[in-house]
Amino acid sequence: MIEFSLNGKKITSDAEADTPLLWVIRDEFGLKGTKFGCGIAMCGACTVHFNGSPVRSCSLPIGAIANAEIRTIEGLENQHPLQKAWVEHQVPQCGYCQSGQIMQAAGLLATNANPSEEEIEAYMSGNLCRCMTYARIKDAIKDVATQSDAVVQIYNPKLESEQTQGVS
Amino acid sequence: MTRLRKDSIEHSRRSFLIGSVGSGLLMAFAPSINALEVITGGASQQLSGKLFSPTVWFEIDNNGAILVNVARAEMGQHVGTAIARIVADELGADWSHVEIKHVDTDPKWGYMVTGGSWSVFQTYVPMSQAGAAGRTVLIEAGAKLLGVNAHDCTTQNSMVVAGSQSISFADVVKSGKIDRVFSADELAEFKPKSPASRQLIAKPSQALDIPAKTNGTAEYGIDVELENMVYARPVVPPTRHGSVVKGVDDSDAKKVKGYQGYQILNDPSNTIQGWVTVLADSYYGAVKAGNAIKVEYDVGETANVSEQDIISQGEALAKDKTSGTLVVEKGDITAAAKNAKTSLESVYRTSSVLHFTMEPVNAAVEFKDGVCHVHCGNQWQSLFLPVVAKAVGMSEDKVIIHQYYLGGGFGRRLAGDYMIPAALTAQAVGKPVKLVFTREDDARFDCVRSPSVQQMNAYWNAEDKLLGIEHGAAAGWPTLAMAPAFMPDGVDKKGKYDPFSIAGADHWYTLDNHRVRAINNTLAQKTFVPGWLRAVGPGWTGWAVESFMDEVAHKQNVDPIDFRLSLLDASGKNAGESPVSVGGAKRLAKVLTDIRKQTNWGQSLPKNQGLGIAISSGQERDMPTWGACVAHVEVDPETGAVKVHKLTGLLDCGTVVHPDGALAQTQGSMLWGMSLALFEGTAFEKGQVKDTNLNTYSPLRMNNLPELDISFVQNTEFPTGLGEPGLIAVAPAIANAIFNAVGARVRDLPIRPEAVLAAMPS
Ligand code: FES
Ligand code: FES
Repeated sequence: MIEFSLNGKKITSDAEADTPLLWVIRDEFGLKGTKFGCGIAMCGACTVHFNGSPVRSCSLPIGAIANAEIRTIEGLENQHPLQKAWVEHQVPQCGYCQSGQIMQAAGLLATNANPSEEEIEAYMSGNLCRCMTYARIKDAIKDVATQSDAVVQIYNPKLESEQTQGVS
Repeated sequence: MTRLRKDSIEHSRRSFLIGSVGSGLLMAFAPSINALEVITGGASQQLSGKLFSPTVWFEIDNNGAILVNVARAEMGQHVGTAIARIVADELGADWSHVEIKHVDTDPKWGYMVTGGSWSVFQTYVPMSQAGAAGRTVLIEAGAKLLGVNAHDCTTQNSMVVAGSQSISFADVVKSGKIDRVFSADELAEFKPKSPASRQLIAKPSQALDIPAKTNGTAEYGIDVELENMVYARPVVPPTRHGSVVKGVDDSDAKKVKGYQGYQILNDPSNTIQGWVTVLADSYYGAVKAGNAIKVEYDVGETANVSEQDIISQGEALAKDKTSGTLVVEKGDITAAAKNAKTSLESVYRTSSVLHFTMEPVNAAVEFKDGVCHVHCGNQWQSLFLPVVAKAVGMSEDKVIIHQYYLGGGFGRRLAGDYMIPAALTAQAVGKPVKLVFTREDDARFDCVRSPSVQQMNAYWNAEDKLLGIEHGAAAGWPTLAMAPAFMPDGVDKKGKYDPFSIAGADHWYTLDNHRVRAINNTLAQKTFVPGWLRAVGPGWTGWAVESFMDEVAHKQNVDPIDFRLSLLDASGKNAGESPVSVGGAKRLAKVLTDIRKQTNWGQSLPKNQGLGIAISSGQERDMPTWGACVAHVEVDPETGAVKVHKLTGLLDCGTVVHPDGALAQTQGSMLWGMSLALFEGTAFEKGQVKDTNLNTYSPLRMNNLPELDISFVQNTEFPTGLGEPGLIAVAPAIANAIFNAVGARVRDLPIRPEAVLAAMPS
C-alpha cells in the first residue's frame, strides 16, 4: 500500500508498486485530465507535478512516490494564470496534449518567472503537440511571464510547496 | 469524392421543421427519406417524436438559451463553433446564449462524416437557410405578440425588434405555439445574409470547446468508464491481413496480478484476422499481460514485405505508361512526347507516414438490452457502423456509436477499425470492455499514408515551347480498401480509381497536353490498409506537381513565379464555376502575385539560404482553397541539414467563417506540412512499420518552430475548407527553397540531410 498526496489530499493505493502513476491517477482515482500518449516519457501528455516539478507519470512507478505531493491539471482548479492565457490565446485544437502542456509550462514558470524564447523552447520541446499548436503555446507562456509580479510570487520556488504548485 | 459529398449534403433538399416542443422551440431538418410524406402530424408532433434528421438541429429553451446539436466530430477544428455561428448569425442570436453539443449516431440519422475539410463547406448553405427559417418564424410569432407587422421586424441580440418595441426570443418561445414546416423549395428561397449585415460570421470569436480543454474536463474516448468494465489490450498480429492464430501460451501472463484471460477473436466482418485480446482488471495489467503472452501464428503472405519492395513496384508501375486509370487526358501527350525535341523526367517518392494521433485509438463497448453501444471518438460513424453490426452479428439499428472529443483525427479516425476488436471482445466475455491500444499497438495497426512513387515527364518542341506534362502516381488506395463504392470511373471508362489518391494532380495550370494516371500499388494494398492522412491526395501529389513545376521553370530559365503565372490563365476548364470555384485559376494567380510582394521575392539572401515557392488548390477541384507558400530555408553545406527560418502562407478560402479558428487550423496544417517535409517518415520492415513510438518517430516539436506569417485573402466568396489545404504547398516550397539555396534538387519525402548532401553540386 502506498500513501501519497493527490491535489492536496492524502490518499492510499493498493496498486502494484510497478504500476505507472498515470493509471493510478486516471483509473483508480478517476482524474482523467492527465492523458496517455506514448508511455515512454517522450510526449508529455501525462505530465503532473511531483513535489512541484513536472514529471511524466506514465514512467513513474507508484512505488517511487511514497509520501510525495502529486498535483494534476485538476489540482490547478482553473485558477492558474496559464489556464486563462490558454483560453485567451485559443491554444487547444484537439486538446489532448494540453493538460500536459499546461503542467509543463507551470513547471517552467515556477522556476523561471521570465523565461527567454530559447528557454521556453528548450523547456517545452519534450511535450509533443500533434495538432502543432506550438506558436500559441509559446505566446500564451510569454504572456503570463510578462504579467505582474504577483505571478512571480506564486511561482517563487523558495516558498512552501503548497504555493509553488501555482494554486493560490 | 463527388458522390460522397452529394450523399452527405443531401439535407439541402430536405424540408425543415420548426415547432414548440415541451416548453422550448425545436428546429430540425426532416428525415431524408420521403421527407414530405412522413410529415403528417405537423412539425411539433414530428419534432417531439424525434422524427427528424439530426445532422444538425437546434433548440431554444424558454430562457432563451440556444443549443446547437452538431453531429460532426470535434477533433480540434472547432467545427461546432463555426456551424453554430452560421446558424446564430442568421437567427440574430446573442452569441453568449449559444451552446453546442456533439451528438451520438443512430443509424436512422443522417450521413455522418467529418473529413476532407468539408464541414463548413457542406453546411454553409443549409445552415444559413435553417437559421433564416428560424428567424422568420421567431419574427412572425414576435410580431403577433407585439401587435406589429412582421415586415417591420428584424432580429438582433436574441430579440425580435420593431422600431422602439422589442421582445426577447425567450418570451416568444414561452408564449408562442409554433408549428411550421418549410418545404425544401421554400427553404431554398432563403439566401445567406449579405456580408455587410452579418453579425457573427467572419468576426472574432472564441471557440466553445476550448475552456474544457484547459482544465482536464474535456471527455475523450479514452476517458470513458462503463460500470463493471474489463480492460483489454490487443495483441496485434505480424501481418495486417491473413494471420491465423495457431496457439496461445499465457503461462507468463497468468503471473500478472488481475489478469483475466485472453480471447482469440473471430471477426465475421473480416476487418481483423488473427487477433488476440488480453484482459485484466486494470489497463496496466492488460499491458503487462500483453507483453507476457506468447501467440503463435500462421502469418499472412506479406510477412516479409519491405518499404523498398513497395517503392520498387511503384517505380515499375509509374514507368509503365500503360498502367493505371486515366484521370486527366487533354490533348495528345503521346504525340507530344514523340515530337519533342527535349524532355525532362523526374521521379518523386514519399515514405510511409504514421497518423500518430496523440490519443491512441481505443473503444469501449457494452451490450445492453439487445443494443451494442460503442463509445469512442470517430470521424465517419456511417462507414463503420455497418461493419460493427456485421462483426457482432446484429442489425444496424441495434448499434449505437457514442461520440466523444477526438484526441486527434487527421484521417486516422475516418476508419473505425479499432471498434471491431473491442466489440468482439465485449461480446465474447459478456461484460463491458474498454480496449486501449498502446502507442506501439496503435502504430502497428495504423492505416498509414501509403508510400508513393510519381513519375513526371515534360516535353518541349524545337522552339523550346512546353508541349505538355505527363504524370503517373502509384500508391496504396484508401478508398479501395475502405469504401470502394466511392471510386469513380476513369475518363476513358476503362477502370476505376481512388479520387483521394490523385486529387491535386488535376491542377489549375493550363497545358495543351496533359495526362494523369492514377495507379494502384497492389503490393502496398496487400501489405496494409492504406489510410487517408491530413490533406490526403494533394498532400503527396502536390509534392511532385509543385517540385516539378520548379524544375521545369529552371530548365526554361524562367523565374518560378513568372513561369507559374504564365500557366494560370484561367482558360477553359480552369475558368472556375460559380459559386464555389468562381474566378478559377485567376484566384491562384492573385495569391501568387500577392505573396511575391509580401515576401520580397528576389531579395538577395546570405550564402546557403534561399526562398522557395509552391502553390496549392486545396483538396479537390470542386472545393478549391487557393493557396501559396514561400519557405525561407538555410542549408548547412557540411551536413545537408535544413533549417526553416520562415514559412509565409497566403490562402483564399472565400469567406472566413471563424477567423481565429481558420488561423489555428492553418498554423497546424502548415507545421504538419513542414513535419512531413523534414521529420516524419517510417518504413515497412517485415510487413510492418518499423517506427512505433517517439524514440524513433519524430514529428516536429517546439524547438523546430519557424517564424510563421499566415494571412487570408479578404473576400466574401463561398467559404471552402481550411483544415488541410495549408499543408500541401509546404514540402515543395521547402524543396524548391533548398534548390535555390544550394542547388540541390531533392525528390524524396521526408527530405533527409544525407539526400540534400548527395544532391549538392560539387
Ligand atoms: S504518455 Fe507519458 S510522456 Fe507520453
Ligand atoms: S492540441 Fe491536439 S495534440 Fe495538442
